Amino acid sequence: MSEYPVRKEEIDAAALLDRLAQHGEAEVYELRSAQVPLQFKSGKLESARSSQTVGRAVRVIKNGRLGYSTTTDVTDAQTVVENALAAAEYGDLVALDLPGEAALPAMERYDETVAALEPGDLIGMGEAIVEAIRAYDPEVEVNVAVGRTVDEVTVVNSRGLRRHDRRTSLSIGAMGTVTRGDEIVIVGGQRQSRRREEVDARALAEEIVERLRWSAETVQVKSGPMKVLLRSVGLAPLMLPLQLGLNGRYVYLGTSPLGGRLGEQAFDPRFALVDDGPRDFAPLSAPFDDEGVATRTKTLVDGGAVRQFLYDLKTAAQTGAQPTGNGFKRADLFTAGFHVPPQAAAATWVVPAGEEDLDAVAAGLDEVLVVENVLGLGQGNMMAGEFSNTVAPGFLMRRGEIVGRVKDTMIAGNVYTLLRDQLAAVGHRQEWVAGMVYAPGLLFDGVSVVAK
Amino acid sequence: MVNQKPGFLAEKPGFFVKGGNVRDQMMKALSHSHADFTDIRLEREWRTTVQYRGKNLENLEASVGSGGIVRCLVNNGWGFAVFNTLADLPGRVEEAYEIARLVGSRTTEVVELAPVAPVDDVVRVQLERDPRSVPLQEKQALVQGYNDILLGYDPRIVTTQARYTDFFKEVTIANSEGSYVTEEQADVTLYLAATARDGQDNIQTGFESDGRMAGFEAVQGREAQAEIAARRALDLLDARPATGGVYSVVLNPRLAGVLIHEAFGHLCEADFISKNARLREVLRPGRRFAVDELTVIDEGYLPGLRGNYKYDDEGTPRQRAYLIRNGILEGFLHSRETAARMGAAPTGNARAVSYRFEPIVRMRNTYIDKGTVPFSDMIRDIDRGIYALDAFGGNTMLEQFTFSAGYAYEIVDGQIGGMVRDVVLTGNIFDILKGVDAVGDDLEIEGSAGGCGKGGQYPLPTTMGGPHVRIRNVAVGGRAS
Repeated sequence: MSEYPVRKEEIDAAALLDRLAQHGEAEVYELRSAQVPLQFKSGKLESARSSQTVGRAVRVIKNGRLGYSTTTDVTDAQTVVENALAAAEYGDLVALDLPGEAALPAMERYDETVAALEPGDLIGMGEAIVEAIRAYDPEVEVNVAVGRTVDEVTVVNSRGLRRHDRRTSLSIGAMGTVTRGDEIVIVGGQRQSRRREEVDARALAEEIVERLRWSAETVQVKSGPMKVLLRSVGLAPLMLPLQLGLNGRYVYLGTSPLGGRLGEQAFDPRFALVDDGPRDFAPLSAPFDDEGVATRTKTLVDGGAVRQFLYDLKTAAQTGAQPTGNGFKRADLFTAGFHVPPQAAAATWVVPAGEEDLDAVAAGLDEVLVVENVLGLGQGNMMAGEFSNTVAPGFLMRRGEIVGRVKDTMIAGNVYTLLRDQLAAVGHRQEWVAGMVYAPGLLFDGVSVVAK
Repeated sequence: MVNQKPGFLAEKPGFFVKGGNVRDQMMKALSHSHADFTDIRLEREWRTTVQYRGKNLENLEASVGSGGIVRCLVNNGWGFAVFNTLADLPGRVEEAYEIARLVGSRTTEVVELAPVAPVDDVVRVQLERDPRSVPLQEKQALVQGYNDILLGYDPRIVTTQARYTDFFKEVTIANSEGSYVTEEQADVTLYLAATARDGQDNIQTGFESDGRMAGFEAVQGREAQAEIAARRALDLLDARPATGGVYSVVLNPRLAGVLIHEAFGHLCEADFISKNARLREVLRPGRRFAVDELTVIDEGYLPGLRGNYKYDDEGTPRQRAYLIRNGILEGFLHSRETAARMGAAPTGNARAVSYRFEPIVRMRNTYIDKGTVPFSDMIRDIDRGIYALDAFGGNTMLEQFTFSAGYAYEIVDGQIGGMVRDVVLTGNIFDILKGVDAVGDDLEIEGSAGGCGKGGQYPLPTTMGGPHVRIRNVAVGGRAS
């Protein structure tokens, strides 16, 4: 007899669906993930992990009521079926219209060269970044995280939908820390894509070195209204509230400041926004969402006017709208995974490039506060569009030249007011914001700045 | 009835088997490891969630999960293997070993583990009402009741969020030094929020948030909290937005806890500094960071509080750690590795949010110790200040940090005045604690329904707290000025 329990046969997603479908409309979502993340601390390789995980989430609608359950055991159908049915007994009355088979957009999300990356290859990428930053200054403490993932996603439902998909992902994050007495300068950056050639370790190292160079001096700004250039992750305080405001769920709940304003001029005419679910190789891209609905490219804001909100199946059913392929297993900035119930959420966002060369614009200005990242994302009254964040890092630019980093400095404002009344210029060059948004820098007038 | 009776997974051969067989499997797999050090952590979990949004029951869920992680240390390199099935434990140990060997061959680091005496222990929780035996319908009905209070409080309330979660976990850790620990962990949370709206732009949310290591009983009878959350949402509609500037600020115990968690706690997690010689120079024990009256403690094991367990995720018994004693930096929070590197004793702070991650250095129950100043004395000599309460959250990046109040009041000429909103505070560790000039004579340590995030591991249950504290010269962000 074996020392270890003989593992029962796996019950595949379709067989599990058959069990559920005896009780009502049903759906099975499955994610199998093979991940290799590794860590460098203070320039030295510390650890690597090989992670082979599986998770399943099921939904069943019995007598019109919805039940939800998740499990990690693919050999056991009984527990997850019983749990889902128990939840359905008291669950929400909902007219969820599960999708059937439909055409999918042609798009790229699997790169064999990413899937083929061995731990040794990833170590080499991390070492290259450490070396490049240390070549600038051997005193810089460099932490690096490199990881590659191959995901296999299955979505099947009782309307005959059978979706299966493979996606790759490669990411590098790096952070350089310089300690000068009681000054601690931290500069970080990251690259993430489903395609290897879009993850440029050298460019990331160069970007960090440039920011460290800009941080050689610490300068003070005076409290009061300033011209502020938000770029890279510095755009996140604007994008996060908009991801709530343009979400059909919050329109339905009555808390979106944009609710009921389709077609209305809510923003500066130079501002536009596109939700690009099937964008090739983008980290959030896929041909179908986590409910199996085909993704598509949609204009949300055009010439400053609101054109479209985002819907998952449930919100679409509640509001009589069409699902937009935005049902994702992401609850907020920090919570995502197979266990999260699908809900309306943004896919890749694209802010179309404007016409201004921001370097040239800044050269004509006495002072601009350049914000590339902030502390305190997701705190405060995001629903109303309020933000108040510590800039980290932020740089002061005089007549187009960076003169140093600022610290202990906050920016505050309201996203809706800023994008309607205070937009000074839209840059002509787009950059990735944490792999989620592709946007040019945005320059604003009269942003409230508090410096200590 | 939900299939959630304790131990039901034990009847399934897929992962765990009856009797002591899991132990045998773990020991056998460990005995075959060629690594310098190996440990295996297995977890199984039971969860339910009831979440209302507005009039809809957005999620009603009963879920289970199980998985494990092997850690191997080979020639100063760490390798980890994460899995969901126990079917081939020796294979997973081999996988972790091979990765560790590769890492060890490419690193110049020296890794040692501070000694911890092997432990053989089983820790079961005692709960008044084990959530796994409470019918799902009872949970749903309880949350619906709270949601009805929130929704019905006032016509200006446009939507609500009433969320209940329970989480029961059994963790088993075995290592190549002979430790074998099984510990149960129980966690319940309740989040009650109301969103009120006045016109297009004035949208305000009041919330009450609680998390405890307790059974279902801990979240029953909270009708008053629902009313408080709804009332606060309405009050916030009439509150003025904060005017940006530098203020004297009084923090209530919850927000004082968030301050110390963000401003100092994270910095004292030794994995941030153990390999950074310059940072260690700046953060040298014996350096003064605050006034004499300020003492900061990370408490290992306070039964009943969230995130409190007897052993950490390396099987180290948890110790109390003084971060600051009488204004002087005293010590750090350690895993076995950081303790060895810094010549300290392990404090039992190596924690993982789940089996999908290796343990890293985290806080537990972090608080400012009680002082002597009554609240009334604290506000008496403030001409223009802010009394800030509760927290939306906080965020830190070593030297700089920020945290935001759930709501606040202005202080004018020594008196509490009108309500203000959107109060976000920022600071720098090298001066904020020096600005603390009064430490209150009260003390509260509390959990919330959220958790702490670090290195992609979120939400980890922690608690934080303190007395009321007063801080001079704090920068508060605000769009008005």
